[in-house]
Amino acid sequence: MDSEERDRGIRKKGIPVNEQIMREIEKEIQIHPNYADLQNQFGLLLAVKGDPDGAESHFLEALHLNPKYRETLLNLGYLYIEMKRWKDAEDIFLSEVRKHPKDGFLRHVLGILYFQTQRQKQAAFHLQKAVQYHPYCREYYQKIGVWKKGAIHFDQNTEKVLKRIRLNYHYAHFHNFVGLYLAKRGKSTQAVREFRKAARLKPDESLFHANLGTVYYYQGSYQKAVDEYEQSLKMDPHYGMGYANLSYIYGLTRRIPEALRYMEKAVRLNPGYADLRYNLALLYSDRKRQREAIFELKKALRINPNYLFARINLGVLYEDQKKWKEAGREYRKILRITPEDEYVRQRLERIS
Amino acid sequence: MLKEDFVIQSTIRRILVRSNVDYSRLTFGTVRGIVYLQGTFEVSRFYVDGSAESMKDFLMKTLVSLEKKIRSVPGVIDVNFQFLNWKKEKGQWIPKKEIEE
Repeated sequence: MDSEERDRGIRKKGIPVNEQIMREIEKEIQIHPNYADLQNQFGLLLAVKGDPDGAESHFLEALHLNPKYRETLLNLGYLYIEMKRWKDAEDIFLSEVRKHPKDGFLRHVLGILYFQTQRQKQAAFHLQKAVQYHPYCREYYQKIGVWKKGAIHFDQNTEKVLKRIRLNYHYAHFHNFVGLYLAKRGKSTQAVREFRKAARLKPDESLFHANLGTVYYYQGSYQKAVDEYEQSLKMDPHYGMGYANLSYIYGLTRRIPEALRYMEKAVRLNPGYADLRYNLALLYSDRKRQREAIFELKKALRINPNYLFARINLGVLYEDQKKWKEAGREYRKILRITPEDEYVRQRLERIS
Repeated sequence: MLKEDFVIQSTIRRILVRSNVDYSRLTFGTVRGIVYLQGTFEVSRFYVDGSAESMKDFLMKTLVSLEKKIRSVPGVIDVNFQFLNWKKEKGQWIPKKEIEE
């Protein structure tokens, strides 16, 4: 690392960049140079390694490949803050705030950016908005003395604290990325460690808790998984898959009323996701709520007409209701796609 | 109803995510205790040398182990594999390419 990079404060002591991951991503990029995801991941690794110029070039490439790639845009914005390229960073975060005016964390970043560039009035405005939209910001500002008696408060002490604030965004996402890498390779204990580091650096990020929940779920530590998913949902109540995962865990532990409640929520948040409707239909069907189960299966089939299992379940439910004609119709449709399905053939023969 | 299909489905989901199977290429469903698996059967990683024979052997062993795990789930009465690339014939797993040849 040269002295200029040190001055920019890019590298943080004690964060080892996994060379193996870098080599793998580099190889992948050679095979798929047009994958924005890979460019973004490599940019993140370079940012943490202490190569801001390299990181910038990969983030820009990712945005060139996919101009709507929000994660990369934020990565780039944080990189510009680290590089003290305030105007570039401001442009990115202001444009994001225009699109997401109630994103408290974006307000927090802008507040810090303005404070660190001696624009206290604008800083106070955005920090105030951050408090309004993000409960964690309120807690945090109270702790450091910036939020007092319902207002943003600057004095000598808080100025010192605010000037020292590092946003840690790249480091947090780096640990999250390493966690995902390890989890995919079955190294769940190490993955948990990485996700925990990520969550410590950016405690308000629902994704890190969701990932922790998923690893605990894989490990079979169901209570821990539930706790992490619940924490994640507290931060982002619109994360539909979080409810679905909670439902699967409750299914595994045979707590069906909770499984049903969470799957209903997941479907409400993701009405176009056929797999969730299918699972909800199973829950209804298990509880003999056939009409609701049929409704969900029909919806799933409207979303994905080739959803074979949904069609088989639908046929079986029609049989339960003694609607032989409807059941036969579904079975025939299935046999047109999979003529070798003996189970369906036998069912059809039985009712014909 | 012998066992609840949703409980079986959740258990199968966990078996798949914990296994070495590339579950992103599979779909699965449960109908009154009968488990269906569809799609392309692939593994995430090979723990063998790169020879075609050892890879085939590894895939077959993974399939046998997966089937055993699914069949041992309480409430599962049968498993219906509809893979695009593997077929079970007379108790043996065979790549579909070999059958076509």
